[in-house]
Amino acid sequence: MKRIFLFIISLAAGLGLTAALTFAATQWLRPPALHGLVMQPQQPAYNFTLMSHYGQTVSLSDFRGKWVMIYFGYIACPDVCPATLAELNKALLSLGKQSERVQVVMITVDPERDTKEQLAGFMPHFNKSFIGLTGTSEQIKEAATYYGIYFAKHQEDTALGYLVDHTATVMLIDPDGYLRVVYSFGTVAKDFADDLKYLMAR
Amino acid sequence: MKKIFLLTLLVTLAVSSCKPAGPKIMVDTAWGRQSPKTATAGAFYMFIRNAGLEEDKLIGAKSAACKTVELHESYQTPEGAMGMRRVTGDVIAIPPGATVELKVGGLHLMCIDKLQDFNSGAQIELTLRFEKSGDVPLTADIRE
Ligand SMILES: [Cu+2]
Repeated sequence: MKRIFLFIISLAAGLGLTAALTFAATQWLRPPALHGLVMQPQQPAYNFTLMSHYGQTVSLSDFRGKWVMIYFGYIACPDVCPATLAELNKALLSLGKQSERVQVVMITVDPERDTKEQLAGFMPHFNKSFIGLTGTSEQIKEAATYYGIYFAKHQEDTALGYLVDHTATVMLIDPDGYLRVVYSFGTVAKDFADDLKYLMAR
Repeated sequence: MKKIFLLTLLVTLAVSSCKPAGPKIMVDTAWGRQSPKTATAGAFYMFIRNAGLEEDKLIGAKSAACKTVELHESYQTPEGAMGMRRVTGDVIAIPPGATVELKVGGLHLMCIDKLQDFNSGAQIELTLRFEKSGDVPLTADIRE
């Protein structure tokens, strides 16, 4: 009788251990899922040429070798845009030295008001390495179209003047210039940082 | 005995009539994001709680740090884009027993034409105006 009892106990323990290990294998050992929409198949990202807040002409191809995070926004967007830029800054800070391999770029959807001088007074405030890009309405429209960014001026009875509705996604481009991940608005610093760490380690 | 009963009744009535029948507004965790004066505008976020028995309405706000403060709301357009607008009627209802959250990507107070830099660690004085509760002063912490 005692033997049968011991047998049942060890069987139960064995089953429990197997279940725990299976759970560990599926949950903890699984590669982390990226926190945005992963582009399949990977496509070369549109090679824009725009004016940086430093007054230089900048193309996406100038950043080969770096992970580039592109955000379309504007200065008079005081809720959604600073929130995104602040999360990106926190993500870079948590990457430490590795953040040197990342370039954050904001392309303005309000080129009329966001001159390079205006951007120069705005971008470094979030992170000294961030670059603001502006251009003619046509150039901005072209870049936005290629990246699937919708933007439209909207008149509103506000002291801000007009507002610009815009897709608030962040696009991650790999060091070879391929669009890899698209993040929706509201993605937090930790998720950006975890993805960058994972992708940079491969 | 009857006397004691009457006294108790009177006391009970007196106490219950003291209970505020109107709204009771409480604001907490008010904050704004650090931004330079050159950024022209900045949003304030907070929780507004109504612990009273009647609805109140936030009808405006002001601050010595901003030329104008408007009630705003960010929203998603049918195209999936983020837009921002003034709140309809410039009113945010705070129902009794409810907590309304002003948060990133949603309702917020928009400080337009900042009169100073908003530096991390600083505190900005604001006054909210409610239809029934009148002016409610508060301090917003500036964070990174
Ligand atoms: Cu706003």
